[in-house]
Amino acid sequence: MARQFSVRRQTGFTTIAMICFFALYLPIAVLVIYAFNAGQSLSIWEGFSLRWFVKAFENQHVIEASIRSLQIAVVAALVATAAATMAALATTRTEPYRGLTLKYAFINQPLMIPEIVTAVALLIFFSRIKVWTGYSGLGYLIAAHTAFCIPFAYLPIRARLENMDLTLERAAADLYATPWKTFRYVTLPLLWPGILAGLMLAFVISLDDVVITEFVKSAGQDTLPTYMLGQLRRAITPEMNAISTLFLLLSICIVTVFFFVNKKRI
Amino acid sequence: MADLNAVEIRNVSKIFGFGEFAFAAVNDTSVAIRQNEFFTLLGPSGCGKTTLLRLIAGFEFPTAGEILLNGANIAAMPPFKRPVNTVFQSYALFPHMTVAENIGFGLQMLGRPKAEIEARVAEMLKLVRMEELRGRRTSQISGGQQQRVALARALAPQPKVLLLDEPLSALDYKLRKDMQIELKRLQSETGITFIFVTHDQEEALTMSDRVAVMSAGRILQVGSPREIYDAPTDRFVADFIGETNFLKGRVVSITDGIAQVDTGVGGRIAAALPQGFVPEGEVTVVLRPEHAMLCAPDHSGACQMTGTLENVVYFGTDTHYHVRLADGVTSFTLREQNKPLQAARFASGDRVGIAIESNAARVLRN
Ligand SMILES: Nc1ncnc2c1ncn2[C@@H]1O[C@H](COP(=O)(O)OP(=O)(O)O)[C@@H](O)[C@H]1O
Ligand SMILES: [Mg+2]
Repeated sequence: MARQFSVRRQTGFTTIAMICFFALYLPIAVLVIYAFNAGQSLSIWEGFSLRWFVKAFENQHVIEASIRSLQIAVVAALVATAAATMAALATTRTEPYRGLTLKYAFINQPLMIPEIVTAVALLIFFSRIKVWTGYSGLGYLIAAHTAFCIPFAYLPIRARLENMDLTLERAAADLYATPWKTFRYVTLPLLWPGILAGLMLAFVISLDDVVITEFVKSAGQDTLPTYMLGQLRRAITPEMNAISTLFLLLSICIVTVFFFVNKKRI
Repeated sequence: MADLNAVEIRNVSKIFGFGEFAFAAVNDTSVAIRQNEFFTLLGPSGCGKTTLLRLIAGFEFPTAGEILLNGANIAAMPPFKRPVNTVFQSYALFPHMTVAENIGFGLQMLGRPKAEIEARVAEMLKLVRMEELRGRRTSQISGGQQQRVALARALAPQPKVLLLDEPLSALDYKLRKDMQIELKRLQSETGITFIFVTHDQEEALTMSDRVAVMSAGRILQVGSPREIYDAPTDRFVADFIGETNFLKGRVVSITDGIAQVDTGVGGRIAAALPQGFVPEGEVTVVLRPEHAMLCAPDHSGACQMTGTLENVVYFGTDTHYHVRLADGVTSFTLREQNKPLQAARFASGDRVGIAIESNAARVLRN
């Protein structure tokens, strides 16, 4: 019997895999470990302590930036997911027509355009509006985040819709369900895992954003990532590590919840 | 009400695509389906059966023509307003609901009271013998059970007409035979008009009150299984259902709808003419293999044709004879039932005669 080709049997495969693995996770592990350092240093271990976590929690800037980040992420993710759901329904529950591909491209364009370009464009655009309206609240950041979150929410929802058997909706209509009831009792429950995936993805993407936020924010509107970026220009203490570790923990929690929710569904 | 047809299709066409890609899946077709009958649409894959069914269900709207349900034109009515239910080929059970929830869905959408829904669901579960599985998810039951749930779900709202699109094609042979009997029982117990789609001629013949044979978007013949089998009026129908011999000939005389046809391979054949059909020039006569017998060629009078026996195939219950007729071109198949310990009467290469049973041969329209 001829031996099948297997990547795993190639010489050096394991070594390369291990190097990549360490390159990815070792820095993060080091970061997390030094969050618990008792001393000031990021490279000399002086014993275990939770002082930097306490310090982070007592830092008013950190708390304000965190709350702002969450506010923006929650609103942006919810609005983006609602919009993405409607867009996904509109682009899959229709006979293919001319211009549909263009619509896909239009919805997904934020993925293609370099973020810095969008950031500059929004900076110029919003500064005009700020002058005209005099409003300079969180609305700009939320609007910007919503816009770039839509394609991320759209992709899993559309994937789910495309895999859904259209006959199910037809069966509902056959059993006297109006279009709205069909959506409410059949499409939505089956689409739910896709919507949750979209929501979480949008939430994480918004939480993580630096470039657009940095350009769009007004004075005193730091989110957690832009606050951290600002701090890096000064002397760094393990407080940064502690904040990063908490941030990481939140991310892991979201992904875990998402994993279990998705697994439970069909 | 009693005189109205359950469903009437009037000159319905369904054209998909535009311009040079335009394609008539249903082509100017008319048919009337009576109250409480088991009506079957039979035809090869791609002939437009599903499209016709979907036009009745309301998933497609006709390009032209009328669809009447109990006399009312429903051609433009959306599916959720039509008192018609469908059993889908893929069953299309809702995966996020239990068996009972699936069955109750139609009544729930109609806004019926809870108590009524529960009673009806229980009744349906009993009808399809699925009482113990009411709380199961539809992914946790077998294909045959899913089939029953799909049936119960479609029957629960007591539709005027039940549409079934090849509902048995996904089942294995044994289960299919059981479900055929089950479907017949459900139809007679509920008294609901069934419109059943299949490409399996045996299924159509054994289950139906009447059969419509379709080809290329048109209904060619409608009749009882016996009529369709014994008296096909169309070449396609004769060829699609069972085995058939086709003979070319000329009509010599006509009396009382029976034509004397000269086939040029022996004597004349008496063949029935389709109603209202006036033959011109050459006609085609059809004859089932079991409606002819081999005889000695010199036995004049009884033998209408002569030829050479080419091949004898023994099948246990019967024997098939393949004869090359006297014109040297046409081949003719006969099927004779075997009797116990009967010696073969003829061998390959023998010159033989063919005797045709009376009332067996028919002239085709085309
Ligand atoms: N939505 C559609 N668009 C274009 N062509 C279709 C569509 N639905 C069916 N057809 C075509 O119509 C013909 C009949 O299809 P169908 O009714 O499904 O046949 P059957 O059920 O007898 O196998 C086929 O050639 C099919 O390709
Ligand atoms: Mg079909």
